[in-house]
Amino acid sequence: MLHLDASQERLLRGEGGEAKQFAMEIVAKVGDAVGADSLVPIKSAHILAHYSSLHDAGVDVLERFASSGGKFAVPTSVDPASIDLENWESFGIPEEYARQQFRLCDAYARLGGMRCWTCVQYQVCNFPRKGETVAWAESSAVVFANSVLGVRSNKITAGMDVACAVLGMTPRFGMLDDENRVAKVAFKVALDSFSDLDFRSVGFFMGRRAASRVPVLLGLPGDVTTDQLKHLGAAAAAAGPVTMIHFPGVTPGTKTLADATGGLEVEEIEVTRSDLESVESDLDQTAETPDLVALGVPHLSINELGEVAKMLEGRKLKRGVRMYVYTSSQAYDMAERTGIRESIERSGARISHSTDAEISPLKKLGFDVVMTNSAKMAEIVSSEGEIKMRYCSQKEIIERVTG
Amino acid sequence: MSGGVLKGRGLMKGTAKGKALLSEKAFTFAHGVDPSSGDVTDVRSDIRGSNVKGSVLFYPFGKGSTTASAWFLETVRNGNHPAAIVTEGVDLSAVIGSVMAGVIYGKEVPVISGVPRSAYLAIRQGEVVSVDGESGEVTRKK
Repeated sequence: MLHLDASQERLLRGEGGEAKQFAMEIVAKVGDAVGADSLVPIKSAHILAHYSSLHDAGVDVLERFASSGGKFAVPTSVDPASIDLENWESFGIPEEYARQQFRLCDAYARLGGMRCWTCVQYQVCNFPRKGETVAWAESSAVVFANSVLGVRSNKITAGMDVACAVLGMTPRFGMLDDENRVAKVAFKVALDSFSDLDFRSVGFFMGRRAASRVPVLLGLPGDVTTDQLKHLGAAAAAAGPVTMIHFPGVTPGTKTLADATGGLEVEEIEVTRSDLESVESDLDQTAETPDLVALGVPHLSINELGEVAKMLEGRKLKRGVRMYVYTSSQAYDMAERTGIRESIERSGARISHSTDAEISPLKKLGFDVVMTNSAKMAEIVSSEGEIKMRYCSQKEIIERVTG
Repeated sequence: MSGGVLKGRGLMKGTAKGKALLSEKAFTFAHGVDPSSGDVTDVRSDIRGSNVKGSVLFYPFGKGSTTASAWFLETVRNGNHPAAIVTEGVDLSAVIGSVMAGVIYGKEVPVISGVPRSAYLAIRQGEVVSVDGESGEVTRKK
Protein backbone atom coordinates (compact mmCIF):
# COMPACT_ATOMS: atom_id res chain seq x y z
CA MET A 1 0.00 0.00 0.00
CA LEU A 2 1.44 3.34 -1.10
CA HIS A 3 1.92 5.75 1.76
CA LEU A 4 1.93 9.46 0.96
CA ASP A 5 3.36 11.84 3.52
CA ALA A 6 1.51 15.02 4.49
CA SER A 7 3.16 17.23 1.86
CA GLN A 8 2.48 14.68 -0.88
CA GLU A 9 -1.16 14.43 0.24
CA ARG A 10 -1.42 18.20 -0.11
CA LEU A 11 -0.18 17.98 -3.69
CA LEU A 12 -2.79 15.32 -4.43
CA ARG A 13 -5.50 17.64 -3.07
CA GLY A 14 -4.32 20.36 -5.43
CA GLU A 15 -2.65 22.63 -2.93
CA GLY A 16 0.50 22.73 -5.06
CA GLY A 17 -1.37 23.72 -8.20
CA GLU A 18 -3.09 21.88 -10.99
CA ALA A 19 0.02 20.51 -12.74
CA LYS A 20 1.37 18.90 -9.58
CA GLN A 21 -2.06 17.53 -8.75
CA PHE A 22 -2.34 15.85 -12.15
CA ALA A 23 1.23 14.56 -11.79
CA MET A 24 0.53 13.22 -8.32
CA GLU A 25 -2.64 11.46 -9.51
CA ILE A 26 -0.61 9.59 -12.12
CA VAL A 27 2.32 8.80 -9.85
CA ALA A 28 0.15 7.71 -6.93
CA LYS A 29 -1.99 5.40 -9.12
CA VAL A 30 1.08 3.82 -10.62
CA GLY A 31 2.80 3.55 -7.25
CA ASP A 32 -0.25 1.75 -5.92
CA ALA A 33 -0.50 -0.53 -8.96
CA VAL A 34 3.12 -1.67 -8.69
CA GLY A 35 2.99 -2.15 -4.93
CA ALA A 36 5.36 0.70 -4.03
CA ASP A 37 5.35 1.75 -0.38
CA SER A 38 6.53 5.33 -0.88
CA LEU A 39 7.65 8.04 -3.27
CA VAL A 40 11.35 8.92 -3.33
CA PRO A 41 13.19 11.98 -4.69
CA ILE A 42 14.94 11.79 -8.08
CA LYS A 43 18.04 13.61 -9.33
CA SER A 44 16.99 13.88 -12.95
CA ALA A 45 14.31 12.91 -15.43
CA HIS A 46 14.23 11.99 -19.10
CA ILE A 47 10.96 12.17 -21.01
CA LEU A 48 9.46 11.30 -24.39
CA ALA A 49 8.04 14.03 -26.62
CA HIS A 50 8.03 12.65 -30.16
CA TYR A 51 4.86 13.01 -32.16
CA SER A 52 5.01 9.61 -33.86
CA SER A 53 4.30 7.84 -30.57
CA LEU A 54 2.58 10.53 -28.53
CA HIS A 55 0.13 11.49 -31.27
CA ASP A 56 -2.37 14.31 -30.77
CA ALA A 57 -3.24 12.95 -27.33
CA GLY A 58 0.37 13.45 -26.24
CA VAL A 59 0.20 17.05 -27.40
CA ASP A 60 -2.90 17.47 -25.23
CA VAL A 61 -1.09 15.99 -22.21
CA LEU A 62 2.10 18.01 -22.48
CA GLU A 63 0.20 21.24 -23.20
CA ARG A 64 -2.06 20.53 -20.23
CA PHE A 65 0.98 20.23 -17.96
CA ALA A 66 2.53 23.40 -19.41
CA SER A 67 -0.62 25.53 -19.46
CA SER A 68 -1.51 24.63 -15.88
CA GLY A 69 1.74 26.14 -14.64
CA GLY A 70 3.87 23.00 -14.54
CA LYS A 71 7.65 23.25 -14.25
CA PHE A 72 10.12 20.40 -14.12
CA ALA A 73 11.36 20.06 -10.53
CA VAL A 74 14.66 18.40 -11.57
CA PRO A 75 17.02 18.62 -14.57
CA THR A 76 15.08 16.99 -17.39
CA SER A 77 16.25 15.84 -20.80
CA VAL A 78 14.18 14.68 -23.75
CA ASP A 79 14.27 11.85 -26.30
CA PRO A 80 14.59 12.54 -30.03
CA ALA A 81 11.78 14.27 -31.90
CA SER A 82 10.00 12.69 -34.87
CA ILE A 83 11.59 15.19 -37.25
CA ASP A 84 14.97 16.81 -37.72
CA LEU A 85 14.12 20.03 -35.87
CA GLU A 86 16.27 22.23 -38.12
CA ASN A 87 16.22 20.53 -41.50
CA TRP A 88 12.81 18.83 -41.51
CA GLU A 89 11.64 20.41 -44.75
CA SER A 90 14.59 19.05 -46.69
CA PHE A 91 13.74 15.55 -45.45
CA GLY A 92 10.25 15.83 -46.95
CA ILE A 93 8.31 16.01 -43.68
CA PRO A 94 4.72 17.26 -44.22
CA GLU A 95 4.08 20.63 -42.62
CA GLU A 96 1.06 19.50 -40.62
CA TYR A 97 3.15 16.74 -39.06
CA ALA A 98 5.98 19.15 -38.23
CA ARG A 99 3.50 21.57 -36.65
CA GLN A 100 2.33 18.96 -34.13
CA GLN A 101 5.93 18.07 -33.26
CA PHE A 102 6.69 21.74 -32.69
CA ARG A 103 3.70 22.01 -30.33
CA LEU A 104 5.34 19.25 -28.27
CA CYS A 105 8.67 21.11 -28.44
CA ASP A 106 7.08 24.36 -27.26
CA ALA A 107 5.25 22.73 -24.35
CA TYR A 108 8.45 20.92 -23.34
CA ALA A 109 10.40 24.19 -23.42
CA ARG A 110 7.74 25.94 -21.33
CA LEU A 111 8.10 23.16 -18.74
CA GLY A 112 11.78 24.07 -18.51
CA GLY A 113 13.43 21.01 -20.05
CA MET A 114 16.92 20.77 -21.57
CA ARG A 115 16.45 20.90 -25.34
CA CYS A 116 18.83 18.05 -26.18
CA TRP A 117 16.46 15.80 -28.24
CA THR A 118 18.56 12.67 -27.92
CA CYS A 119 18.21 9.10 -26.66
CA VAL A 120 21.83 9.15 -25.43
CA GLN A 121 21.38 11.95 -22.90
CA TYR A 122 24.03 10.21 -20.78
CA GLN A 123 26.59 11.05 -23.51
CA VAL A 124 25.33 14.61 -23.90
CA CYS A 125 23.76 16.47 -20.97
CA ASN A 126 22.29 14.30 -18.22
CA PHE A 127 25.00 13.04 -15.86
CA PRO A 128 23.73 11.50 -12.62
CA ARG A 129 26.26 10.09 -10.17
CA LYS A 130 26.69 6.44 -9.25
CA GLY A 131 24.05 5.31 -6.75
CA GLU A 132 21.61 8.15 -7.50
CA THR A 133 17.97 7.57 -8.38
CA VAL A 134 16.49 8.97 -11.60
CA ALA A 135 13.23 8.57 -13.53
CA TRP A 136 14.11 8.03 -17.16
CA ALA A 137 12.00 6.94 -20.07
CA GLU A 138 13.79 5.46 -23.12
CA SER A 139 14.52 1.82 -22.43
CA SER A 140 18.03 1.85 -23.89
CA ALA A 141 19.07 4.74 -21.65
CA VAL A 142 17.58 3.04 -18.60
CA VAL A 143 19.62 -0.10 -19.27
CA PHE A 144 22.74 2.06 -19.68
CA ALA A 145 22.01 3.91 -16.43
CA ASN A 146 21.54 0.78 -14.35
CA SER A 147 24.24 -1.32 -16.01
CA VAL A 148 27.09 1.04 -16.86
CA LEU A 149 26.59 4.12 -14.67
CA GLY A 150 25.35 2.35 -11.54
CA VAL A 151 22.42 4.75 -11.45
CA ARG A 152 18.98 3.49 -10.40
CA SER A 153 16.04 3.84 -12.72
CA ASN A 154 12.94 1.97 -13.71
CA LYS A 155 11.75 2.10 -17.30
CA ILE A 156 9.36 5.04 -16.96
CA THR A 157 6.40 4.99 -19.32
CA ALA A 158 5.13 7.94 -21.40
CA GLY A 159 2.99 10.27 -19.28
CA MET A 160 4.49 8.93 -16.07
CA ASP A 161 7.83 10.41 -17.19
CA VAL A 162 6.46 13.97 -17.23
CA ALA A 163 4.63 13.40 -13.95
CA CYS A 164 7.85 12.28 -12.21
CA ALA A 165 9.76 15.22 -13.69
CA VAL A 166 7.16 17.75 -12.50
CA LEU A 167 7.11 16.25 -9.01
CA GLY A 168 10.81 15.42 -8.72
CA MET A 169 9.70 12.08 -7.30
CA THR A 170 9.07 8.51 -8.37
CA PRO A 171 7.50 5.46 -6.69
CA ARG A 172 10.03 3.19 -5.02
CA PHE A 173 9.82 -0.20 -6.73
CA GLY A 174 11.66 -2.44 -9.16
CA MET A 175 15.22 -1.38 -9.94
CA LEU A 176 15.28 1.10 -7.05
CA ASP A 177 15.46 -1.80 -4.60
CA ASP A 178 18.70 -3.77 -4.10
CA GLU A 179 17.00 -7.16 -4.14
CA ASN A 180 15.67 -6.60 -7.66
CA ARG A 181 19.13 -5.77 -9.02
CA VAL A 182 20.55 -9.24 -8.37
CA ALA A 183 21.31 -11.27 -11.50
CA LYS A 184 19.09 -14.36 -11.89
CA VAL A 185 20.50 -15.74 -15.13
CA ALA A 186 24.01 -15.81 -16.66
CA PHE A 187 24.86 -15.56 -20.35
CA LYS A 188 28.30 -16.63 -21.59
CA VAL A 189 29.42 -15.46 -24.98
CA ALA A 190 31.97 -17.64 -26.76
CA LEU A 191 33.14 -15.68 -29.81
CA ASP A 192 36.59 -15.14 -31.29
CA SER A 193 35.77 -11.64 -32.41
CA PHE A 194 32.87 -9.19 -32.24
CA SER A 195 31.51 -7.16 -35.14
CA ASP A 196 29.25 -4.16 -34.54
CA LEU A 197 26.32 -6.46 -35.32
CA ASP A 198 27.44 -9.08 -32.80
CA PHE A 199 27.11 -6.70 -29.84
CA ARG A 200 23.54 -5.97 -30.89
CA SER A 201 22.67 -9.58 -31.61
CA VAL A 202 24.06 -10.71 -28.24
CA GLY A 203 21.90 -8.09 -26.55
CA PHE A 204 18.85 -9.12 -28.54
CA PHE A 205 19.34 -12.83 -27.83
CA MET A 206 19.74 -12.08 -24.14
CA GLY A 207 16.66 -9.85 -24.08
CA ARG A 208 14.55 -12.63 -25.54
CA ARG A 209 15.85 -15.35 -23.23
CA ALA A 210 16.23 -13.46 -19.96
CA ALA A 211 12.56 -12.42 -19.93
CA SER A 212 12.01 -10.59 -16.63
CA ARG A 213 15.19 -11.90 -14.98
CA VAL A 214 18.18 -9.56 -14.55
CA PRO A 215 21.01 -11.08 -16.62
CA VAL A 216 24.78 -11.09 -16.11
CA LEU A 217 26.85 -11.22 -19.29
CA LEU A 218 30.27 -12.85 -19.42
CA GLY A 219 32.73 -13.10 -22.29
CA LEU A 220 32.67 -9.57 -23.69
CA PRO A 221 36.07 -8.24 -24.84
CA GLY A 222 38.01 -6.49 -22.07
CA ASP A 223 38.22 -3.31 -24.14
CA VAL A 224 34.47 -3.09 -24.83
CA THR A 225 33.46 0.56 -25.33
CA THR A 226 30.58 2.53 -23.87
CA ASP A 227 29.22 2.86 -27.42
CA GLN A 228 29.20 -0.92 -27.85
CA LEU A 229 27.49 -1.34 -24.48
CA LYS A 230 24.94 1.31 -25.49
CA HIS A 231 23.93 -0.68 -28.58
CA LEU A 232 23.98 -4.01 -26.77
CA GLY A 233 21.70 -2.68 -24.05
CA ALA A 234 19.35 -1.05 -26.55
CA ALA A 235 18.93 -4.36 -28.37
CA ALA A 236 18.31 -6.23 -25.12
CA ALA A 237 15.66 -3.73 -24.03
CA ALA A 238 13.91 -3.91 -27.40
CA ALA A 239 13.77 -7.70 -27.27
CA GLY A 240 12.34 -8.06 -23.77
CA PRO A 241 11.65 -6.39 -20.43
CA VAL A 242 15.37 -6.11 -19.51
CA THR A 243 16.16 -3.01 -17.42
CA MET A 244 19.65 -3.93 -16.15
CA ILE A 245 22.53 -6.11 -17.28
CA HIS A 246 25.51 -6.89 -15.07
CA PHE A 247 28.75 -6.50 -17.01
CA PRO A 248 31.47 -7.84 -14.67
CA GLY A 249 34.33 -5.35 -14.64
CA VAL A 250 32.09 -2.55 -15.92
CA THR A 251 28.97 -2.38 -13.75
CA PRO A 252 29.75 -0.56 -10.49
CA GLY A 253 29.91 -3.10 -7.67
CA THR A 254 30.14 -6.08 -10.06
CA LYS A 255 33.65 -7.42 -10.57
CA THR A 256 32.73 -11.10 -10.85
CA LEU A 257 29.84 -13.43 -11.63
CA ALA A 258 29.35 -13.97 -7.89
CA ASP A 259 29.04 -10.21 -7.30
CA ALA A 260 26.22 -10.12 -9.83
CA THR A 261 24.28 -13.09 -8.48
CA GLY A 262 24.96 -12.47 -4.81
CA GLY A 263 26.85 -15.78 -4.78
CA LEU A 264 23.76 -17.79 -5.66
CA GLU A 265 23.71 -20.35 -8.44
CA VAL A 266 21.81 -19.30 -11.53
CA GLU A 267 20.96 -20.83 -14.88
CA GLU A 268 23.83 -20.41 -17.36
CA ILE A 269 23.10 -19.94 -21.04
CA GLU A 270 25.83 -20.20 -23.69
CA VAL A 271 25.62 -17.72 -26.54
CA THR A 272 27.16 -19.23 -29.65
CA ARG A 273 27.73 -18.02 -33.20
CA SER A 274 24.69 -20.02 -34.32
CA ASP A 275 22.47 -18.25 -31.75
CA LEU A 276 23.57 -14.93 -33.22
CA GLU A 277 22.90 -16.19 -36.73
CA SER A 278 19.37 -17.08 -35.74
CA VAL A 279 18.86 -13.55 -34.39
CA GLU A 280 20.15 -12.20 -37.69
CA SER A 281 17.82 -14.34 -39.78
CA ASP A 282 14.91 -13.39 -37.52
CA LEU A 283 15.54 -9.64 -37.95
CA ASP A 284 16.76 -9.65 -41.56
CA GLN A 285 13.38 -10.20 -43.14
CA THR A 286 13.90 -9.81 -46.84
CA ALA A 287 16.48 -9.99 -49.59
CA GLU A 288 15.03 -6.89 -51.25
CA THR A 289 17.21 -3.87 -51.98
CA PRO A 290 16.68 -1.16 -49.36
CA ASP A 291 15.43 2.30 -50.26
CA LEU A 292 16.73 3.66 -46.94
CA VAL A 293 19.75 2.83 -44.83
CA ALA A 294 19.46 4.04 -41.23
CA LEU A 295 22.40 4.17 -38.83
CA GLY A 296 22.15 5.60 -35.35
CA VAL A 297 19.35 3.99 -33.36
CA PRO A 298 20.34 4.79 -30.63
CA HIS A 299 22.16 8.00 -31.64
CA LEU A 300 25.79 7.66 -32.72
CA SER A 301 28.48 9.42 -30.70
CA ILE A 302 31.06 11.67 -32.33
CA ASN A 303 33.52 8.74 -32.29
CA GLU A 304 31.06 6.54 -34.14
CA LEU A 305 30.40 9.29 -36.67
CA GLY A 306 34.16 9.40 -37.26
CA GLU A 307 34.17 5.64 -37.94
CA VAL A 308 31.30 5.97 -40.42
CA ALA A 309 33.16 8.79 -42.17
CA LYS A 310 36.24 6.62 -42.47
CA MET A 311 34.28 3.70 -43.91
CA LEU A 312 32.58 5.97 -46.45
CA GLU A 313 35.84 7.53 -47.64
CA GLY A 314 36.10 7.47 -51.43
CA ARG A 315 32.66 5.83 -51.79
CA LYS A 316 29.45 7.08 -53.36
CA LEU A 317 25.92 6.05 -52.48
CA LYS A 318 24.25 4.04 -55.25
CA ARG A 319 21.22 5.49 -57.04
CA GLY A 320 17.80 4.79 -55.55
CA VAL A 321 18.94 4.46 -51.95
CA ARG A 322 19.16 7.07 -49.23
CA MET A 323 21.39 6.82 -46.19
CA TYR A 324 20.60 8.74 -43.02
CA VAL A 325 22.97 8.77 -40.07
CA TYR A 326 21.28 9.83 -36.84
CA THR A 327 22.96 11.64 -33.98
CA SER A 328 22.45 14.22 -31.25
CA SER A 329 22.60 17.93 -32.08
CA GLN A 330 25.72 18.16 -29.94
CA ALA A 331 27.63 15.44 -31.80
CA TYR A 332 26.35 16.96 -35.05
CA ASP A 333 27.91 20.28 -34.11
CA MET A 334 31.22 18.58 -33.37
CA ALA A 335 31.03 16.70 -36.66
CA GLU A 336 30.45 20.03 -38.39
CA ARG A 337 33.46 21.66 -36.77
CA THR A 338 35.79 18.74 -37.43
CA GLY A 339 34.88 18.07 -41.05
CA ILE A 340 33.27 14.70 -40.25
CA ARG A 341 29.88 15.86 -41.48
CA GLU A 342 31.33 16.97 -44.76
CA SER A 343 33.19 13.73 -45.33
CA ILE A 344 30.08 11.64 -44.57
CA GLU A 345 27.86 13.77 -46.79
CA ARG A 346 30.35 13.76 -49.66
CA SER A 347 29.29 10.12 -50.19
CA GLY A 348 25.68 11.18 -50.66
CA ALA A 349 24.65 10.11 -47.14
CA ARG A 350 23.10 12.67 -44.78
CA ILE A 351 23.47 13.27 -41.10
CA SER A 352 20.22 14.01 -39.33
CA HIS A 353 20.08 15.26 -35.78
CA SER A 354 17.50 15.62 -32.99
CA THR A 355 15.48 12.70 -34.44
CA ASP A 356 15.97 9.08 -35.44
CA ALA A 357 14.58 6.67 -37.97
CA GLU A 358 12.61 4.49 -35.57
CA ILE A 359 10.35 7.40 -34.63
CA SER A 360 10.21 9.08 -38.04
CA PRO A 361 7.14 8.81 -40.27
CA LEU A 362 8.98 6.39 -42.59
CA LYS A 363 5.90 5.25 -44.46
CA LYS A 364 4.76 8.83 -45.05
CA LEU A 365 8.20 9.54 -46.49
CA GLY A 366 7.71 6.70 -48.97
CA PHE A 367 10.16 4.12 -47.63
CA ASP A 368 9.34 0.40 -47.94
CA VAL A 369 12.57 -1.48 -47.21
CA VAL A 370 14.94 -0.17 -44.56
CA MET A 371 18.40 -1.54 -43.82
CA THR A 372 20.06 -1.01 -40.44
CA ASN A 373 22.53 -2.49 -38.01
CA SER A 374 20.14 -1.62 -35.15
CA ALA A 375 18.40 -4.67 -33.72
CA LYS A 376 16.18 -2.28 -31.77
CA MET A 377 14.98 -0.55 -34.88
CA ALA A 378 14.56 -3.79 -36.84
CA GLU A 379 12.41 -5.24 -34.06
CA ILE A 380 10.21 -2.21 -33.40
CA VAL A 381 9.60 -1.07 -36.95
CA SER A 382 8.93 -4.57 -38.29
CA SER A 383 6.22 -5.21 -35.69
CA GLU A 384 3.90 -2.81 -37.52
CA GLY A 385 4.19 -4.91 -40.64
CA GLU A 386 4.28 -1.92 -43.00
CA ILE A 387 8.01 -1.69 -43.60
CA LYS A 388 10.36 -4.57 -44.28
CA MET A 389 13.58 -4.51 -42.33
CA ARG A 390 17.05 -5.64 -43.29
CA TYR A 391 19.57 -6.26 -40.51
CA CYS A 392 23.27 -6.28 -41.48
CA SER A 393 26.61 -5.11 -40.10
CA GLN A 394 27.76 -1.58 -40.87
CA LYS A 395 30.55 -2.93 -43.06
CA GLU A 396 28.18 -5.07 -45.09
CA ILE A 397 25.68 -2.22 -45.41
CA ILE A 398 28.28 0.19 -46.74
CA GLU A 399 29.65 -2.39 -49.16
CA ARG A 400 26.17 -3.11 -50.48
CA VAL A 401 24.83 0.42 -50.92
CA THR A 402 27.92 2.31 -52.00
CA GLY A 403 30.31 1.93 -54.90
CA MET B 1 -18.72 -23.12 -17.31
CA SER B 2 -21.69 -21.03 -18.38
CA GLY B 3 -21.58 -18.31 -15.75
CA GLY B 4 -19.41 -17.19 -12.90
CA VAL B 5 -17.08 -14.52 -11.68
CA LEU B 6 -13.36 -14.09 -12.17
CA LYS B 7 -11.71 -12.15 -9.40
CA GLY B 8 -8.69 -9.94 -9.90
CA ARG B 9 -7.38 -6.72 -8.45
CA GLY B 10 -9.06 -3.50 -9.55
CA LEU B 11 -6.46 -0.91 -10.58
CA MET B 12 -8.68 1.65 -12.29
CA LYS B 13 -12.26 2.11 -11.16
CA GLY B 14 -15.41 2.15 -13.23
CA THR B 15 -17.77 -0.40 -14.69
CA ALA B 16 -18.06 -1.62 -18.26
CA LYS B 17 -19.73 -4.23 -20.38
CA GLY B 18 -18.55 -5.55 -23.69
CA LYS B 19 -17.58 -8.45 -25.88
CA ALA B 20 -14.53 -10.32 -24.66
CA LEU B 21 -11.47 -9.98 -26.91
CA LEU B 22 -8.95 -12.53 -25.68
CA SER B 23 -5.24 -12.58 -26.48
CA GLU B 24 -3.00 -15.34 -25.22
CA LYS B 25 0.15 -13.40 -25.98
CA ALA B 26 1.88 -10.34 -24.53
CA PHE B 27 0.19 -7.25 -25.95
CA THR B 28 1.08 -3.65 -26.72
CA PHE B 29 -0.74 -0.62 -28.08
CA ALA B 30 2.59 0.83 -29.26
CA HIS B 31 2.86 0.05 -32.97
CA GLY B 32 0.35 -2.69 -32.14
CA VAL B 33 -3.03 -0.96 -32.35
CA ASP B 34 -3.98 1.66 -34.94
CA PRO B 35 -5.43 4.48 -32.81
CA SER B 36 -7.43 5.84 -35.72
CA SER B 37 -9.45 2.62 -36.06
CA GLY B 38 -8.82 0.42 -33.02
CA ASP B 39 -7.54 -2.36 -35.30
CA VAL B 40 -4.89 -4.67 -33.86
CA THR B 41 -1.95 -4.41 -36.28
CA ASP B 42 0.91 -6.09 -34.38
CA VAL B 43 2.19 -8.86 -36.66
CA ARG B 44 3.13 -10.90 -33.60
CA SER B 45 -0.30 -10.67 -31.97
CA ASP B 46 -2.68 -13.64 -32.03
CA ILE B 47 -5.63 -11.23 -32.36
CA ARG B 48 -4.22 -9.26 -35.28
CA GLY B 49 -7.09 -8.03 -37.44
CA SER B 50 -9.52 -7.79 -34.52
CA ASN B 51 -10.76 -4.42 -33.31
CA VAL B 52 -10.48 -3.35 -29.67
CA LYS B 53 -13.21 -0.69 -29.74
CA GLY B 54 -15.80 -1.28 -27.03
CA SER B 55 -14.38 -4.70 -26.14
CA VAL B 56 -13.29 -6.06 -22.82
CA LEU B 57 -9.67 -6.70 -23.78
CA PHE B 58 -7.84 -9.56 -22.05
CA TYR B 59 -4.10 -10.17 -22.33
CA PRO B 60 -1.57 -11.77 -20.00
CA PHE B 61 1.14 -9.08 -19.97
CA GLY B 62 2.16 -5.84 -21.61
CA LYS B 63 5.30 -5.75 -23.70
CA GLY B 64 7.57 -3.53 -25.73
CA SER B 65 7.95 0.21 -25.90
CA THR B 66 7.31 2.52 -22.96
CA THR B 67 5.29 4.67 -25.35
CA ALA B 68 2.37 2.23 -25.16
CA SER B 69 0.50 4.47 -22.69
CA ALA B 70 0.56 7.27 -25.26
CA TRP B 71 -0.74 5.00 -28.03
CA PHE B 72 -3.48 3.84 -25.68
CA LEU B 73 -4.39 7.45 -24.83
CA GLU B 74 -4.62 8.35 -28.52
CA THR B 75 -6.95 5.40 -29.00
CA VAL B 76 -9.12 6.88 -26.23
CA ARG B 77 -8.96 10.36 -27.76
CA ASN B 78 -10.35 8.88 -30.98
CA GLY B 79 -13.03 6.94 -29.15
CA ASN B 80 -11.66 3.61 -30.38
CA HIS B 81 -10.58 2.26 -27.01
CA PRO B 82 -11.62 -0.92 -25.25
CA ALA B 83 -14.38 -0.63 -22.64
CA ALA B 84 -12.07 -2.25 -20.11
CA ILE B 85 -8.70 -4.01 -19.87
CA VAL B 86 -8.07 -7.20 -17.90
CA THR B 87 -4.58 -8.63 -17.50
CA GLU B 88 -2.65 -11.23 -15.55
CA GLY B 89 0.40 -9.11 -14.65
CA VAL B 90 0.17 -5.35 -14.06
CA ASP B 91 0.51 -3.47 -17.35
CA LEU B 92 1.65 0.02 -16.33
CA SER B 93 0.87 1.42 -19.77
CA ALA B 94 -2.81 0.59 -19.32
CA VAL B 95 -2.88 2.15 -15.85
CA ILE B 96 -1.07 5.34 -16.90
CA GLY B 97 -3.07 5.64 -20.12
CA SER B 98 -6.28 5.30 -18.16
CA VAL B 99 -5.32 7.92 -15.53
CA MET B 100 -4.43 10.39 -18.27
CA ALA B 101 -7.63 9.58 -20.15
CA GLY B 102 -9.58 10.42 -17.01
CA VAL B 103 -7.87 13.75 -16.43
CA ILE B 104 -7.64 14.93 -20.05
CA TYR B 105 -10.75 13.45 -21.67
CA GLY B 106 -12.91 12.53 -18.68
CA LYS B 107 -12.92 8.88 -19.81
CA GLU B 108 -11.22 6.58 -17.31
CA VAL B 109 -11.06 3.01 -18.59
CA PRO B 110 -11.47 0.29 -15.93
CA VAL B 111 -8.31 -1.81 -15.56
CA ILE B 112 -8.04 -5.08 -13.66
CA SER B 113 -4.95 -7.20 -13.13
CA GLY B 114 -4.34 -10.52 -11.44
CA VAL B 115 -6.66 -12.60 -13.63
CA PRO B 116 -4.54 -15.53 -14.88
CA ARG B 117 -4.60 -16.41 -18.55
CA SER B 118 -5.65 -19.95 -17.67
CA ALA B 119 -8.75 -18.52 -15.95
CA TYR B 120 -9.85 -16.02 -18.58
CA LEU B 121 -9.40 -18.45 -21.46
CA ALA B 122 -12.53 -20.19 -20.20
CA ILE B 123 -14.41 -17.22 -21.64
CA ARG B 124 -15.45 -17.49 -25.30
CA GLN B 125 -14.14 -15.01 -27.83
CA GLY B 126 -16.92 -12.43 -28.30
CA GLU B 127 -18.90 -13.47 -25.23
CA VAL B 128 -20.39 -10.49 -23.37
CA VAL B 129 -18.85 -9.90 -19.95
CA SER B 130 -19.11 -7.11 -17.44
CA VAL B 131 -16.28 -5.63 -15.46
CA ASP B 132 -16.13 -3.79 -12.16
CA GLY B 133 -12.85 -1.96 -11.71
CA GLU B 134 -13.64 -1.26 -8.06
CA SER B 135 -14.13 -4.84 -6.91
CA GLY B 136 -11.82 -6.33 -9.55
CA GLU B 137 -14.55 -8.67 -10.79
CA VAL B 138 -15.22 -9.93 -14.29
CA THR B 139 -18.73 -11.40 -14.55
CA ARG B 140 -19.93 -13.79 -17.25
CA LYS B 141 -23.58 -13.75 -18.20
CA LYS B 142 -25.67 -16.86 -17.80
